[in-house]
Amino acid sequence: MKVPENFLYDLSLHRDCNERLLARAGQLKAGEVEVSLHPEVARIKKMVYAVMGEVHRMKAFVRLQPLGTRVLYGFFKPRNRIGENICDHFSRRNAGIIIVLGNGSESWISLCREGRIWRDHGGGMTETLERLKSALHCSEDSANVECLWQVYYDSQYCPERKNLAAFRRQMPRRDQEAAGLRLVQNKRNATLEDFLGEG
Amino acid sequence: MVTLEKIAHLAEECRFDTMGPTGGVNAEKLSTLGEGTRHDVCASTFSPREIPLPGICHAFTQDGRCVSLFKTLYTNHCTHQCSYCTNAANCSRKVRAFSYTPEELANITLSLYRSNYIEGLFLSSGAGRDEDTVMEKMVETARLLRQKHAFSGYIHLKVLPGSTRAHIQEAMALADRVSINLEAASASHMSEICATKNYESDILQRQRYIRDLTTKNVLPAGQTTQLVVGAAGESDEEIFKRVLYEYKEIGVRRAYYSAFSPQRGTPFENREGQPLWREHRLYQMDWLFRVYHFQPGEISHAFNENGFLSNADPKMAIAREFMDGPVDPNTAPFRQLLRVPGIGPRSAQRIVAFRKRQPIAARAELAAMGVRIKRAAPFLKINGWRDTTLEMWQA
Repeated sequence: MKVPENFLYDLSLHRDCNERLLARAGQLKAGEVEVSLHPEVARIKKMVYAVMGEVHRMKAFVRLQPLGTRVLYGFFKPRNRIGENICDHFSRRNAGIIIVLGNGSESWISLCREGRIWRDHGGGMTETLERLKSALHCSEDSANVECLWQVYYDSQYCPERKNLAAFRRQMPRRDQEAAGLRLVQNKRNATLEDFLGEG
Repeated sequence: MVTLEKIAHLAEECRFDTMGPTGGVNAEKLSTLGEGTRHDVCASTFSPREIPLPGICHAFTQDGRCVSLFKTLYTNHCTHQCSYCTNAANCSRKVRAFSYTPEELANITLSLYRSNYIEGLFLSSGAGRDEDTVMEKMVETARLLRQKHAFSGYIHLKVLPGSTRAHIQEAMALADRVSINLEAASASHMSEICATKNYESDILQRQRYIRDLTTKNVLPAGQTTQLVVGAAGESDEEIFKRVLYEYKEIGVRRAYYSAFSPQRGTPFENREGQPLWREHRLYQMDWLFRVYHFQPGEISHAFNENGFLSNADPKMAIAREFMDGPVDPNTAPFRQLLRVPGIGPRSAQRIVAFRKRQPIAARAELAAMGVRIKRAAPFLKINGWRDTTLEMWQA
């Protein structure tokens, strides 16, 4: 991974970031952060990478469900302060549709319309979705995309290439849980050994 | 920040398309046509069509491979007789034949894309009754996605062997990437694994069409190809020579390798499957050529007298052959650093940047820059000091 030019933004999203650290980082260039061995700069680099890694994985792993025709929502409990960033990403990808990401205690709402992004930050996701249901007069969509996905996902597995270590490295349980993934393993081809070896 | 109610109001006023229907998909069809592409590879979802973003892997299967695209066949009905393929006409294990319609396939792709399960579509197919009809339907699917649904995700279309130049041109106008699988390293190997495909006219000629039709604004992710490794007894050197030709003469962006694995009911059912490491070592050779810019003459030293690679890092074998003495990371040029096992392009760049500020004095500094010290140490001397030789390391 390369430290980006605007690494201060990523650093500011880290849960342990404070003003002193931001001020210190403001004196550094991206190239210095990447190669410096100074303990404090190494810590800054580690924090930037932690945020970049989580942003990347959440963009990949968060799944969205339709609520009527105007809303897509998904469970999301990030470790760092990346809620707004991820919500904006999905709203740009689905212009004209309200994106709601959240969990039991907080939610992020974003809508991209004509190139502009409108945002809100609310309480628990259930409460936010109830408010949207009454504002838009819509209800849950019966189409179950997750079932469709599970059938397709199972079809892609090559048993002769089984490599659980790589699977666990690429899809850490921590990130799966943060994105609320129910698909933890390929169900059709899982063996008792796979489950026993999970811990 | 605005209120939630205002956002809801703005969404209602929106003139964009709403989400399409997803119901009524046959699970057996979805599974069968999905399975048909299990061995096809497309590692990239990067497309400079909009904002350039790195590819995203939305899931991984238990084999550790990324699932980032809806990878499927349009139909599993095929008249070709490829001896390794379960969809071939000469496969004794018959599975039910399925086909999508362009609308159905576009709707599934859209549903999965909107729910963030995939980055795009990878569409391959059996030849059906004739290639032209199937190719037309595949192009129609891409057209529906791009033009009717304003789909901006990634599309990779397979070009069927023997497709017309007009169909290839249409596919290229809609897709981010197109590919046609070479499958074999030469015409003679192809005749052994498939009697119904003409290597020169059905495959190489179609690749040249793609090359000739490629312009700056068409096909942002280029053309690729894929080979089955070891189905016809070909050596790694034969495969690699073919791939070099593909990079130099055809201009493919990437070649993919798939180790042959015998499938039940196919004429090659009883042939020995190839170890996965063979595929992995070929990828490493490919990487040395494309990313590290090693010369073919240097790389060829990794093959044994029979033209096969051993199950060891080819970069190490080449370093032992060509590196006369240890390299000083404080003075070596970038190109020489790249030749050291354990040093990649990123760590070589970091070394060059670091030593401009201060000299490298310890191995720990190199480790912090991403160098894999255990591999690199025998080939390095830091400020004239060397503490490990390859012989010591091996012992």
